[in-house]
Amino acid sequence: MLIPRWCLWALTLSLAEWVSAVDYLADIKPILIEHCVSCHGADHPKSDLRLDTAAGARTGGRHGPAITAGPAEASLLWQVITGTHAELPAMPYKKPALSPSEREQIRLWLAAGAPAPENELPSRKIHWSFVPPKRPAVPVRDDSSHPIDAFIRQHLDKEGLTASPEADRVTLLRRVSLDLTGLPPSPADVDQFTADSRPDAYERAVDRLLASPHYGERWGRVWLDLARYADSNGYSIDAPRSIWPWRDWVIQALNSDQPFDRFVIEQLAGDLLAPADSPDDTHLRQRLATGFHRNTQINEEGGIDPEQFRIEAVLDRVNTTGTALLGLTIGCAQCHDHKFDPISQREYFQLYAFFNTQDDVTLEAASAADRAARTAVERATQPVQQELDARGKALEPRFAEWEAALTPAQRDALPLEVRNVLGLRPEQRNDAQRKVALRGYFQTDAEYRAIEQRLQKVRSGAPKIPTTLALKERTEPRASVVFIKGDFTRPGDPVQPGTPAVLPPLPVADRPANRLDLAQWLMDPQNPLTARVLVNRVWQQYFGKGLVETENDFGTQGSPPSHPALLDWLACEFMEPTVSAGPAWSLKSLHRLIVTSATYRQSSRVRPETQEKDANNRWLSRQNRLRLDAELVRDVALVASGTFNPRIGGPGVFPPQPDGVMNLGQSRRSWTVSTGGDQYRRGMYTFFWRATPHPALAVFDAPDGFSTCTRRLRSNTPLQALTLLNDAAFVELARQLAERIQREAPEADRLDYAVRLCLARRPTAQERERLRTLWQEESREVGDAAAWMTVARVLLNLDETITRE
Amino acid sequence: MNPSEPLRDLTRRHFFSRCSLGLGSVALASLLGPSQAASGPAPASHPLAPKPAPFPARARNVIYLFMAGGPSQLELFDYKPRLGQLNGQPIPDSYLEGKRFAFMDSSFKNRSTLLGTRRQFRQHGQSGMWVSELFPHTAGIVDDVTFVRSCATNVFNHAPAKLFMNTGSSQFGRPSLGSWVTYGLGSEADNLPGFVVLQSGPRGPRGGAVNWGSGFLPTSYQGVPLRSQGEPILNLTTPTELGDTRQRRAVEAIRDLNLQHLVATGDPEITTRIAAYEMAYRMQTSAPEAMDLTGESAATLRLYGVEPDRPSFARNCLLARRLVERGVRFIQLYHTNWDSHGGPGENLEDDFEKVCRQVDQGSAALVKDLRSRGLLDDTLVIWGGEFGRTPMGENREKTGRNHHIDAFTMWLAGGGVPAGHIVGETDELGFNAVQDRVHVHDLHATILHLLGINHEQLTFRFQGRDFRLTDVHGQVVKSLLA
Repeated sequence: MLIPRWCLWALTLSLAEWVSAVDYLADIKPILIEHCVSCHGADHPKSDLRLDTAAGARTGGRHGPAITAGPAEASLLWQVITGTHAELPAMPYKKPALSPSEREQIRLWLAAGAPAPENELPSRKIHWSFVPPKRPAVPVRDDSSHPIDAFIRQHLDKEGLTASPEADRVTLLRRVSLDLTGLPPSPADVDQFTADSRPDAYERAVDRLLASPHYGERWGRVWLDLARYADSNGYSIDAPRSIWPWRDWVIQALNSDQPFDRFVIEQLAGDLLAPADSPDDTHLRQRLATGFHRNTQINEEGGIDPEQFRIEAVLDRVNTTGTALLGLTIGCAQCHDHKFDPISQREYFQLYAFFNTQDDVTLEAASAADRAARTAVERATQPVQQELDARGKALEPRFAEWEAALTPAQRDALPLEVRNVLGLRPEQRNDAQRKVALRGYFQTDAEYRAIEQRLQKVRSGAPKIPTTLALKERTEPRASVVFIKGDFTRPGDPVQPGTPAVLPPLPVADRPANRLDLAQWLMDPQNPLTARVLVNRVWQQYFGKGLVETENDFGTQGSPPSHPALLDWLACEFMEPTVSAGPAWSLKSLHRLIVTSATYRQSSRVRPETQEKDANNRWLSRQNRLRLDAELVRDVALVASGTFNPRIGGPGVFPPQPDGVMNLGQSRRSWTVSTGGDQYRRGMYTFFWRATPHPALAVFDAPDGFSTCTRRLRSNTPLQALTLLNDAAFVELARQLAERIQREAPEADRLDYAVRLCLARRPTAQERERLRTLWQEESREVGDAAAWMTVARVLLNLDETITRE
Repeated sequence: MNPSEPLRDLTRRHFFSRCSLGLGSVALASLLGPSQAASGPAPASHPLAPKPAPFPARARNVIYLFMAGGPSQLELFDYKPRLGQLNGQPIPDSYLEGKRFAFMDSSFKNRSTLLGTRRQFRQHGQSGMWVSELFPHTAGIVDDVTFVRSCATNVFNHAPAKLFMNTGSSQFGRPSLGSWVTYGLGSEADNLPGFVVLQSGPRGPRGGAVNWGSGFLPTSYQGVPLRSQGEPILNLTTPTELGDTRQRRAVEAIRDLNLQHLVATGDPEITTRIAAYEMAYRMQTSAPEAMDLTGESAATLRLYGVEPDRPSFARNCLLARRLVERGVRFIQLYHTNWDSHGGPGENLEDDFEKVCRQVDQGSAALVKDLRSRGLLDDTLVIWGGEFGRTPMGENREKTGRNHHIDAFTMWLAGGGVPAGHIVGETDELGFNAVQDRVHVHDLHATILHLLGINHEQLTFRFQGRDFRLTDVHGQVVKSLLA
């Protein structure tokens, strides 16, 4: 009988030598890390079983040791990975089973007594986004000196794709203008740019746009989406609120390129920063910045439990902080330990504890200049007031005499309020009524009235100081507990403020941590998430999708980055600039870096040859066409029609909207159309009622302000068509555009000028012909002016007009 | 010669040489055919294009009669003689433990004595369903209907409870039932929105438009209110000074120029834009036509009790039938005000009688009319509020009842629901459902099931999570399936 050679070989070895062919560290541990450790690791091990060391497996968990001496079949570990245990489900739970070869290795290892080194360090499967980014080397290439292009093209090579050529100059200028300021370039801007033959003409244009005060509006609106900004309280009553000074703070902070770490710290914890003694507005502005988390809804419905909705707002602050800054779906842990990411329900409520100790306050948003002006007015008022009081005193003794001498006609001429009091006998009048009567008398005195008018005039010089909503830390902190199943009526264990264990520790040991500690921890360069999440969101604005497509989920269920090295390089460069000249955390530097890349500057034209390999353009062999955000759809029409009012900031405004919109909410609110130029303000200033948003905003997917919005949808619907075609506001803008064309361009150039106002570029010959045909048909029937109106309407309705190419 | 002909030629050639752009030739034909602006099928690229149900469907369309404010089941359907006997006595503590109510303060316990109904009840039809004298017309359709007397919800204030009934969550920002359904199935209507909302009563429902919002789903799926006065849809009407000829000319020029740009860029999103303009233009004609009752016979108007041109719930019921005939997937009617605390305009005496009269005939007529036209088999009709009312009375100016979440009655008809059937039972006071409790999530699961959708599989990824209408809850109620 022949015995296989390998058997003979095996027989020559001792058993121990034989099994040493299975190396725990090299063969077994990676299998456990791959399949087991995400649930049976250091963080909240399932069934209290840890498989991140062999010792842990031997100790076992709630169902006893996972490893038992003897044949492999005796070990719990073997039974569950083969699905042969009588009660426990097959492992890995609800995931693909181990491969036959993996099982075989484990069987051999168990049979050998599961040998493993002593002092084994626990292994851990750490998700990529929880490891702080390290700056990768930029690929060296001949065809690109820009780091972004080097990373992108390296991958294009791998996919067998090539980059697209640069977009034409006009398209490029319109693209970068819309992206940086949200406004299209004027024909003059275009002429200037196309005539600029300097090699750095584009970079100069970028710098000009970044310096524009409209930059803060454009990127401020992106931040408002995250902050769930609105001008009303939400829920069913939806009363108006004043929080626009916070919105203006955002615009100004971005325009001054406040470093992003400061920008966030002030918004999360501005009230906890040390008050500055300087007479300027620093501390007031820091307190005002905390309005970020006052953009929560307020429920004013009758019969509710106010505590329930206070807690709702706190929960929203936790969830928004998690999603907006950490890119984690922390809200999932409100009711139970996070199913996929290492965040326990307890840790959720540790975060909750940071936000549970503030009061909601209303702040006077008075600048130093406002305060000085107010003091000056008060000072100027004093002498006039004294004069008025003195005149009153002089008149008072003659009151009874005056009253007695009143004729019926004189009495009837007095204000109703005064007449009512005079109807009472003097002894029946209380103090307030006596004052009314006296004032009635004083008003009949010409000298008194003159002084009073002077007083009013002085007072009218006082600045109108708006209020805004802010947070203020309580002196007596509120105790926090875990809510069982997330239900506030079921309080569980008490918790202290703290951060999730999977992220770097809070550097606070000797005292309870507060919101400022949390804010600083979030913005610490060692925090693996914050910078990545931010650069990814900025990237998303420029290309439609982030490098991590799930821009709100960097956890284990999110999609992995398409270009991990580029993402990390951008995050590092943002925190610690090397190629950019700007300071750390400079958003303007980040914008400049991206928009000057060839990747950004590519044409967006779909190329059939790349379409087959990369239909979704994940590898960026071209730019993407992006439909403009709701506010910008309006802004583009405003600019084209020449009605645009460039004023920045201030209270919300009321451009026209169709009748009946305000009836759709529970409480009927009025909508009085703004005048004096306010009806032509940018879309971002339209007063935003959460319950009844302006239909032209809602129909183009403006976020609803109910919860944080990290990416807008871009729907494409018939109701959008009806809005651009028939909405009174757009029809009026078309009329203004028609008038502008006729006013500003010589007859022969009008069609081209009209197209340039809307698309920046000139029409193609074919387009010109089609528009001319339209104009001629219209002109024959309804005359020249009406024909221009139709041309203007058509242009404002074009897909290209409301798209960033 | 039509001036845009050379353009069409060029575009046609372009398209057929580039199938890789993924444009269906059917869509293309409808875009390039002559005078297609006013007719022809909706292009396939439309997000509301009808999609087959994943599983065999019993219902194709839904008409949801939303009784805003929470009608009192104890005055209408849930007959409790024992409650009458205990009238005026305090409710046993065992019922109140751990419960929360609206307007609850320290005096709550003292105010909550049991209130028997003063309405007469009779059994009707083969099922022997109890219906009160306030609903004579509804009593006539009991053999077409399944009554669910054991409905339960989670939330006891109006706005959040309405949201919960519509979206399965009391948080704002989730998609409504109608949005989920049109997201899952699209719509057969190519010239009307797939999800339409009609309103009647003294004011809009609490919470307003969020009740039919699309939440995180694309706005294509949000409910579109058709208004009973003025333009049926916002911005539907061409500005009068422009007129239809000029509108058509403009729409055609927009289409041609968009087509040229489609050729230049190759972006299929422009095809969707072109299709949206085509449908918008068709809607300008078809929506007013759908709202126009002049073609309805006198007999039909009598059946519903509709006075032409006077907005009413009954008129909206008739419009709902017309919309179903035109392929609209989901129609939701809101009628206010069923709130009955006993205060002014909200008592259980004459105020309640009034709102019953406003609703009874139209609801019953709708079921009869659908049946006689053979539409009831395919159309699921749902009737109910956001919650019910307490067995305890509430004494304000007059008699009323507080909001109650543990037991209330809804009814369903047609669309695969048993005819002449009763589901669930409450205890002798009508406080708790004691048999076959049907929670809102179960109701949602069942409605989707009837439409051929597994409620666990209709999902949308948002903020890193797959969301569904029923969240992590919901079971199909077998007794609601014929």
